[in-house]
Amino acid sequence: MANHGGWAGKVLRIDLSTRRISTEDTIEKYKDYLGGTGIGYKVMWDEVPTGTKPFDPANKIVFGVGPLAGTGAPCNGRTAVTTLWPTCWPKPLVASGHMGGHFAAELKYAGFDAIIIEGKADRPVWLRVVDGKAEIKDARHLWGQGIRRTTVDINQQMGPESSVAAIGQSGENLVPMSVVINSYSHSAGGIGGVMGSKNLKAIGVRGTGSVRIAENKEEWEKVVKLHLSLLGSVNQHVVPNSPQPWAEYYSPTRWLGSKGRKWGSAEPNIETGACDPHNLNRIAYRTNNAAFFLGEKAWQYTVRGNGCSSCPIRCHTILKVPSVSSKYGIRAVGQNTCAGLVFGREFFKTFPDGPRGQTAIEACMVGMSLTDDLGIWENYGQMQRDFQQLYYSGAMKNKVGEDEFKGFSWDQYEKGDPTFLFELLPRIANKQGELATALGLGTGYLLERWGISEQDWQQNQKIAYWKMGHPRHHANEDAGQCGVIINTQYNRDSQCHSHVNFTRNGLPIKVQKQLAAEIWGSPDAVDAVAAYSPMNIYKAKMAKWSLLRKELHDSLSLCNWMGPWIASPLKERNYRGENSIESLLYSLATGDKKSRDELDEVAERIFLLHRALTIRDMGTKEMRTEHDTIPDWVFIDPTGKASFTAGTNRMDREDIKLAMDMYYEEMGWDKKSGSPTVAAYQRLRLGEVADGLTNRGLVP
Amino acid sequence: MEQREEIRLTIAKIIREKSETGQLMQFEELLTELAGQGLLNPEGADQRSHLEGILRQVVSENEDIKELSSKNQIPHYYSSRSLSEIYAGILVRKEENSLIAEIVRENSAIYPRPVPLNIFREPPFDLTQEEILDYLEKMGKQGEYQDIAQTTTSIGTVFLYSNRHLDATYASILAEWLDVGQANNP
Amino acid sequence: MDVNHIFSRREFILVSGAMVVAVSALEAWGAKEAPLIIMDQAKGLVIADPTKCVGCRRCELACSEFNDGKASPTIARIKVTRNLNFGPTGLYTGQRGQGAWGNGLVIQDVCKQCPHPVPCANACPNDAIVVSPPTNARVVDPNKCIGCKMCQRACPWEMMSFDSDTNKATKCFLCDGKPKCVEACPAEALSYVAWRDLTDKAPPRVAPTSVVSPDKAQTCNNCHKK
Repeated sequence: MANHGGWAGKVLRIDLSTRRISTEDTIEKYKDYLGGTGIGYKVMWDEVPTGTKPFDPANKIVFGVGPLAGTGAPCNGRTAVTTLWPTCWPKPLVASGHMGGHFAAELKYAGFDAIIIEGKADRPVWLRVVDGKAEIKDARHLWGQGIRRTTVDINQQMGPESSVAAIGQSGENLVPMSVVINSYSHSAGGIGGVMGSKNLKAIGVRGTGSVRIAENKEEWEKVVKLHLSLLGSVNQHVVPNSPQPWAEYYSPTRWLGSKGRKWGSAEPNIETGACDPHNLNRIAYRTNNAAFFLGEKAWQYTVRGNGCSSCPIRCHTILKVPSVSSKYGIRAVGQNTCAGLVFGREFFKTFPDGPRGQTAIEACMVGMSLTDDLGIWENYGQMQRDFQQLYYSGAMKNKVGEDEFKGFSWDQYEKGDPTFLFELLPRIANKQGELATALGLGTGYLLERWGISEQDWQQNQKIAYWKMGHPRHHANEDAGQCGVIINTQYNRDSQCHSHVNFTRNGLPIKVQKQLAAEIWGSPDAVDAVAAYSPMNIYKAKMAKWSLLRKELHDSLSLCNWMGPWIASPLKERNYRGENSIESLLYSLATGDKKSRDELDEVAERIFLLHRALTIRDMGTKEMRTEHDTIPDWVFIDPTGKASFTAGTNRMDREDIKLAMDMYYEEMGWDKKSGSPTVAAYQRLRLGEVADGLTNRGLVP
Repeated sequence: MEQREEIRLTIAKIIREKSETGQLMQFEELLTELAGQGLLNPEGADQRSHLEGILRQVVSENEDIKELSSKNQIPHYYSSRSLSEIYAGILVRKEENSLIAEIVRENSAIYPRPVPLNIFREPPFDLTQEEILDYLEKMGKQGEYQDIAQTTTSIGTVFLYSNRHLDATYASILAEWLDVGQANNP
Repeated sequence: MDVNHIFSRREFILVSGAMVVAVSALEAWGAKEAPLIIMDQAKGLVIADPTKCVGCRRCELACSEFNDGKASPTIARIKVTRNLNFGPTGLYTGQRGQGAWGNGLVIQDVCKQCPHPVPCANACPNDAIVVSPPTNARVVDPNKCIGCKMCQRACPWEMMSFDSDTNKATKCFLCDGKPKCVEACPAEALSYVAWRDLTDKAPPRVAPTSVVSPDKAQTCNNCHKK
């Protein structure tokens, strides 16, 4: 171990039942799985028996980071949290949530690559981790408190630099739709209730140590600067949103920085400006996710960008909206990104002043204020889509008793009054009443509880529901067949951005095709959006590559929301990025030299272990028909347009069958069942996993 | 001869500095500036052809210095070190009626996608709402712009596209995707 | 010229302008030599704009990785992490302070390259904090540092770092005039500028608790008449 950089070297194991605290050697036990989800799946495979339920003491939670967490490699702030997923329907299976913030880096400086939580404490506790030492502390005084007070309390005990990951009332009450949050606004969905089931209120981490770079520091500096030079804006959009003096292209991307666009609540104002990509000192001004998701008005409320440690792209936006203090009695300052930003707004169908007006912004502020304190999860917007569908279809009124239903101010709701959120959200966290309890279960269990067929949801494109209780996450609407394949593979929404961060990067289709040819072997790997061509092998290659890079990022601690970095804003590179940036960073940081292909192979091992876990716990090898399913709406066009014509995302059933055939083949899996063969496991040195599954009759 | 070289260096410098501010250098501006500095030797009508000659040399000597003519044949100069061809192309067409139509056609052809109308209110277009509406009205009346069409998204944003490159359904699907869909699929 | 050369009292000279030459003094009425801590003024300084800080800590990472080959905010000579969440004094004000939990403002703490007195250098019992050309930054000479941490207790702005791997103190040395932190900031929040005296402009974080040795204190009297 002594020779490895990158890794902290120890994994912390906490048995809350026995209060036993122990450590393991990361390299010895987990090096073949890198870290992050890799360690997570390994622990779940080795230690959590089939049939375990998410809230059983036998379930484990693995907070895993990787060798790049805590270093200066750009975008390494994410912690992967792996466990049995409480909203995975009809049967909980393994999945992971991912939080940014400063937790990952702090864990490394404290000397750990992962924390494995097992068992169940006999009363509320929190875990204190400081410089190689851990302590289980009494949390009875924190139980019942929101995430904010909990965090401030623990920071007072541990010091202001500590990073605290806490659950709110929602997690305590075992609401499946609950998050854990660190650094004010960085959440991992699905985890809150599992922590609650273990009586674990929070983990506070403080580290004064370091992450060593194994190889020459000048080389490291060069590669870090290369990586920085390739960055675009959030989601690696490499083309600015409006014409810029330096830019050859412009597209409606999330690269919003421009002359005249200002952080209007910075004192004094700060102009984001032209943001020439060669100026690495202005990367942080390229992104303003509040302005992207909330509309132009958000500029005036922007205090600054915020985000994870080490990341120059600030995808969280700090907003100051003075009106919300007097109107709703909440703090004027709030922050989040993407789905978290719009949590409150998305419940409403209309607002008095339009979808991008002041009221909509206020709904966002109220939403952030409540949910990031109560610790509620939105399941990538599925909770709100379900809510609207159930309300406006009348189903809700039927399922919830009349007395309870009358208890809500529906007139306010229909008008788009954000005060409605004060009625709804605390009830979800506290499981008060039928409506709130059902919403807190997640889509799959909600539909089952209310006797609604999953197929109803799978017919409706607008609800964007995919399967197993979870929504689509960048499927055919973003990348045709490649997106469809990716969305079949996980036990929650796929959370993969490898493909979509390329297809939405803003470059003209001709340039995208040039890059695609270099990366996946043919320009035909990508199509212009909503103008898809029939399946070909290169799309399958792109899908495989996308999935492996996702797992690689989740295990190294690189952000798959920002990466991969295969395109760049640099004209002089013909907009090429660097397909090997991960292996360059990994090799220098750890000293374990691995080529791109070798590292992708490790990623494949990790991905395959996830597949094996899914097969084992589902108890079937018939993955193609029972797991890798595709909702009907994918094959429907509301206007009846035929597949493969410009202007539709509609996929064709036969073509998608071919797509899955090609994908399984590309993975070296059995086409008929969609399960990996023994040879596929053995090729990735997962022979023992193959043995385990063979004994259960779960290999083709 | 030496003086000519000094002028050439000065001209390249002036053009580059102007480009750094995101603007083009017009021939007339350059003439005034150089005359003001007393750098143009011959007086009167000769100055013009004299400068034209020097400029030709400047453009051929400096890879980054480019010449661009507007429709009424007025030459403009910029440095590609800080201005892209596309951006310079927008600037030089700023005064022209055809600007919006040409931008819309380019976008429909190369990305492909419709363009939100409000993009023309921002730099480098910097048109007012009234100016945009004027253009649209003119375009509606003139035969050469009959390919320019509009579509409105579910939240009321107007997009323009050219039906030479996108059909109506495709354009409306793309507009909805860019304006609403992408934000709803973060 | 070796700017850390120990001169005798008789060699005490002032050169032109405001520049004070680093000198040490042979105690006027004793045989013992104690340095008079007057150092050449630093030539440069890192200054920070808190309204632009985005809290990414890339400055701390560049400082420690590119100089020391390890990522370590603790040894970074620019300090952001400690103010990141609640601001310099905000932890006990709940959410009414600064930082990500307060109004969003992140204060970056930077070394002021003090003119005179130089508290860290004064406090060092081994005279390990010296002037380093070309920037004339006050730097820790690792060969002299004995790891006693007296300097940490002397700096009113808590800008001394301690590297527990090497067991030495470390501080901002301006990266020989190309500060890595400035280069690394993605928000142009840091600048490297000509030195100016900020010691009377930035409120101290703590009251220093180090003691200046009697020998040195005595030499102070040479100029600061009692």
